[in-house]
Amino acid sequence: MSTSSTRKKDSLPELVIRPEFELSDIEQAQTGDVARKLSLVERIWNINGVRKAVILLTLVAAWQAYTVGLDVEPLMLPRFTISFVALYEALFHGDLIYKIWFSVKVLLIGYGAGLALSAVLILWATANRFGSDFISMATAMFNPLPAIALLPLAMLWFGLGTASLVFVLIHSVLWAVALSTHNGFENVSQTLRMIGRNYGLHGIRYVAKILVPAALPSILAGMKIGWAFAWRTLIGAELVFGASSGSGGLGWFIFESSQNLETEGVFAGLFAVILIGIVVENVVFRNVELKTVNRWGMQS
Amino acid sequence: MSNVPNILTRPEFEASEIGKAVTSDVARKLTLFERISDMHSVRKLTILVLLVALWELYTRWSEVSPLILPRFSSTAYALYLAVAGEQLLIMVWNSVTVLIAGYIIGLVIATILTTAATTTRFGSDILSTLTAMLNPLPAIALLPLALLWFGLGADAIIFTLLHSVIWPVALNAHVGFMSVSETQRMVGRNYGLKGLIYVGKLLIPAAFPQILMGLKIGWAYAWRTLIAAELVFGGSISDTTETSGGLGWFIFANQMDLQIPHVFAGLFMVILVGVFVENVIFNFIENRTVRRWGMQAR
Repeated sequence: MSTSSTRKKDSLPELVIRPEFELSDIEQAQTGDVARKLSLVERIWNINGVRKAVILLTLVAAWQAYTVGLDVEPLMLPRFTISFVALYEALFHGDLIYKIWFSVKVLLIGYGAGLALSAVLILWATANRFGSDFISMATAMFNPLPAIALLPLAMLWFGLGTASLVFVLIHSVLWAVALSTHNGFENVSQTLRMIGRNYGLHGIRYVAKILVPAALPSILAGMKIGWAFAWRTLIGAELVFGASSGSGGLGWFIFESSQNLETEGVFAGLFAVILIGIVVENVVFRNVELKTVNRWGMQS
Repeated sequence: MSNVPNILTRPEFEASEIGKAVTSDVARKLTLFERISDMHSVRKLTILVLLVALWELYTRWSEVSPLILPRFSSTAYALYLAVAGEQLLIMVWNSVTVLIAGYIIGLVIATILTTAATTTRFGSDILSTLTAMLNPLPAIALLPLALLWFGLGADAIIFTLLHSVIWPVALNAHVGFMSVSETQRMVGRNYGLKGLIYVGKLLIPAAFPQILMGLKIGWAYAWRTLIAAELVFGGSISDTTETSGGLGWFIFANQMDLQIPHVFAGLFMVILVGVFVENVIFNFIENRTVRRWGMQAR
């Protein structure tokens, strides 16, 4: 013990004794200004919204300048102004609003049915081990299967129409939600479970009062993924439908416009798709998160 | 004080028959059956076999038209035929090469975007504006435009794949980088790490769980987009030669020919590829990185 410590001391390098010195020019060490008032430009530039708006405007201006300056074929890339006017026209003078409503209605039905089914599956899985095994087996198998691949079968079973869209949407929501809810339930801490049992909670009340609040972050994550898959599936399905028949939705509007070589209509449809996506992700889900997991301090 | 209820004094009692309280067995050897049914793989295999048996028996007894729901055996046989004789594997390979090309180019672009975003505030603003706008846009909706710009072919599909990969990957990586703790950053700077080495040695390992999540979501979107794009393609072109199409095209073409067992065979193949990527490739990466580093439970 002692030998090793002396050996260590021996291997230490010798201390270097630096000569004392005095700074001749103390002013040089001073930085420019430690605190100063920001200028108006800097303060405006520091606002997040302003910077993002500037970026957005720059992108739009670049698009417009590119198409006007180079005289790009409007068939390939229409001017921003034309696309915007097309959106306006389709919204207020065309039937785009109805097509959006058609898509959203189908989406809501499919999403609701998918959530209900996954709730049933999850309840079964919490009740017994066989259900739990079944869920993990089924999600492992069906989650990697893109719902859109089932569309040909759905069209065969339910015909062209809303029913097959709903079937495909259910498939896209069900497994994503069931998977992450199941994982969330399994990760609820033993302490919380024991507290619930101590209060004498059983069955559905146990699930609703203990498991669901405790696993809400992962349930919400599953619902968000489910929504994203469903939205993608719906637009894709309507595009495929577009090729086979003419039931109207937002995807069908895009397909129709591209078939008619009205590229500005395609862009108008894309704008609408983006707007709906932003509303659902940044307004609906954001508010749900603020009201629940953020308020409960489960997520920063 | 007055709210406190009176303390009940219960009468003393003696259990007359102490033997009743003893439970039957506290520890005993499990029977062979119990031990077997405790094995995860056995239980899952049983469920799988049960499902298959149910399918087979249902189709046999209720005499469903094979056009609506073919028997499992004929589906399995169709899968065998397609793999052995009809070059299904080549079609799978066609799909997978397009997917890999799109995925890798997407990763490169996402890396560039994320690097710009982590180094400058302006880059971060650009990334967050673009992702907020384009992440909710399903990539498949861009397919009509892509067809217009790049024509029918792999280029158009790769373009849509790029779009489906870039945003989730860049978004998650950026969020991951942002949430690397200040302590770790300071340790890195203390070691004199700068620029690319700083990103490679410090930020990427610290944000790896998030990055991996982005990669997985990107893969899931890309896989869905690819299959959907091939289905839409199926609708737009009908004179594709046998082997040039991908898996989605295989499904579409067989559905048009009412070869329903082959449609199911195609679906099996989609599931197999998906399960392989998610449970073999991503699990392998997770085991080697975040789980080994203790950054993720289980």
